[in-house]
Amino acid sequence: MTAERLLLFSAARQLFALNLQEVCEVMEPQRCYPLAGAPSHYHGLINFHGNLTALVDLAGYLRLQGRPLPGKVLVIDTKLAHLALKVDAVGSILDATSITGASSHEDPLTEAVLDTPHGSVHLLRLEALLTGLEQELQQSAPNNAKPGGT
Amino acid sequence: MDMSQYKALFLSESREYLRSIAEQVVALEQSPGERSAVDALFRGAHSLKGMAASMEYGDVVVVAHSMEDLMARVRDGALPFDPGVADLLLEGVDLIDVLLQDVEQERPSTLPTGDFAQRLAIYTPAPPKAAPADQAEPQEPAAADAVTAPHSATAPAAADAAAPPAAEAEKAKEPAGEAGGTVRVKTELLDHLINLTGELVTNKQRLLTIAGELASPPLNDAISETAKLLRSLHDEVMKVRLMPFEAISDRFQRSVRSVAKKSGKEIHFELTGREIGLDRGMLEQLVDPLNHMLRNAVDHGIEESGDRERAGKPARGTVRLAVSRDRDRIQITVRDDGRGMEPATMIAAAVAKGILTPEEGELLSPRQALMLSCIPGFSTAKEVTDISGRGVGMDAVNAAIQKLGGTLGIESEPGVGTTISLRLPLTIAIIHALVVQVGQVKAAIPVNAVQRTVELSRRQIENIGKRQMFQLDDEAIPLLSLNRVLGMPLGRFPDGILPLFVTEARGRRVGIVVDRLLGQHELFVKQLGRPLAKMAGVAGGATLGDGEIVAILDLAGLL
Repeated sequence: MTAERLLLFSAARQLFALNLQEVCEVMEPQRCYPLAGAPSHYHGLINFHGNLTALVDLAGYLRLQGRPLPGKVLVIDTKLAHLALKVDAVGSILDATSITGASSHEDPLTEAVLDTPHGSVHLLRLEALLTGLEQELQQSAPNNAKPGGT
Repeated sequence: MDMSQYKALFLSESREYLRSIAEQVVALEQSPGERSAVDALFRGAHSLKGMAASMEYGDVVVVAHSMEDLMARVRDGALPFDPGVADLLLEGVDLIDVLLQDVEQERPSTLPTGDFAQRLAIYTPAPPKAAPADQAEPQEPAAADAVTAPHSATAPAAADAAAPPAAEAEKAKEPAGEAGGTVRVKTELLDHLINLTGELVTNKQRLLTIAGELASPPLNDAISETAKLLRSLHDEVMKVRLMPFEAISDRFQRSVRSVAKKSGKEIHFELTGREIGLDRGMLEQLVDPLNHMLRNAVDHGIEESGDRERAGKPARGTVRLAVSRDRDRIQITVRDDGRGMEPATMIAAAVAKGILTPEEGELLSPRQALMLSCIPGFSTAKEVTDISGRGVGMDAVNAAIQKLGGTLGIESEPGVGTTISLRLPLTIAIIHALVVQVGQVKAAIPVNAVQRTVELSRRQIENIGKRQMFQLDDEAIPLLSLNRVLGMPLGRFPDGILPLFVTEARGRRVGIVVDRLLGQHELFVKQLGRPLAKMAGVAGGATLGDGEIVAILDLAGLL
């Protein structure tokens, strides 16, 4: 069920994890350029080794109360998406053997809630996250052009 | 011997043979006496069989072998090339295509090929229908004519006379091999090359920015020389990425054939410019729009045979697909000699649907009236199809073409026919774009979508109803704010001058007001990937010379 190694990180005082293989780099925050028309939790676009990558505030997307921290940027594997998540902090790599228990969760974004030595961790489903972001973009299409407005 | 290393080459060559076979089948239906095409079909099936046998793909061998046998009977005169033969050969092409997918995915095939081989082996043509009054299948008599007439005309002299150009054309269609100074290159390598070239273009812009700050003539000279070399490199890399239009054209022939058959119409399909090279990325995105246009032309543009004859036209309608290149632009036209479209009827339909007021309808030129068919909602209405004879899904076609940085134009004459013209850039990887400022954000608009830029005084703005308009070339043009469209605070313009660019949206010219016009830039377009690729109104992104990232707007998706 669970990948062998998970990357632990925090956002809005909650612990999350992603399959380590889905993450290609953890970076310090860098210059980000705003993207007109995108929902507010899109900070904008960053240049990640030549790939134009959307930077999304994870807490904002999950509608959790964010914290005013510089935080870290967690870049998703470029073969899977052009997406980076702004999180509060990135912790250790967790070996699957150290998970002491797991329970399901009604949120489709959460594959399981894991019991770990660090506490309770929400293991995120990357595919569900990507699909959710895509659906949101499709639903929040720009205003239909209205006359005037100058 | 391990043959797996040759699998990619086998798949690539086999698909070229399949494409060529499908094209020849459709061409032979148009002129069944073309001996060279019959020979080419036989050779195609034979070569496919040989390649598959050497790779030990038994199912492909069975299908190709039965196709080869069928063509041998046609070649030897034991069987006419009739629609039944064409159908079987095309079925064989589809069957092998699926088998090749299985090979590619390294999964066992479950397709029963024996039944297909059996049907080809025992195929005999249906007896000709005697009763001319049989209206149930109006396409049959035409197809039968197409078979029988050339038989009587296939005198050896005539066949020989026709042979040289056809043979030459056939030679051109032979799959390219390693010989003759050509090599096969993986497409990923080509994509990587264009990426590197694009990054160099971005870096050149960066150097230009630095040179502007340093004001150093030697540096300017060096950058100017680098820019020239880059332009040459870009042109050469783009040439490598070009693929001939024929890479996708076989499906159009088949699509026209299929719609004609279903609608019971007699259609003569002509294709010119199959050798014209287009950007590989663009070619893939042209398939659906062109298919749509051709199906519309056959299904809605061309009249029933009886109607055509009563109008003094040949019973057989003609649909022409032509591709040409004019310097760095590609022009594709789909022309039919059908019933055409009536601008006044289009306007009346738009007024009836509440898309236009009668007053607005009166202001439209005939060309603008025809473009109404590209408005979403207008074109899907059945009554419009009945009235105009055109328009199914044209909004989707127009949006797809604009996304490629192209434009779509319609010309039509009632009773004579309709021509839809697409003008496309040669490449979609590196474009010229107008960069604008909206609020705190910069955005880029491909210059193909910009008709002109204007600095408008507030005094020139007229309020007509709820709309704000201005006059340009004796035409009242509505104003829209890009800030408002993007959900951003509106601009202020304390000096009373509104910067705007004029574009075409929903068949009409529109003035799009922005906060500032920042000038034209050469941009390397990058795809945004998941999730932003799903964002309406954004076609990609690019990096400016100072490293700033801008979104490239897709106005068709935005407006």
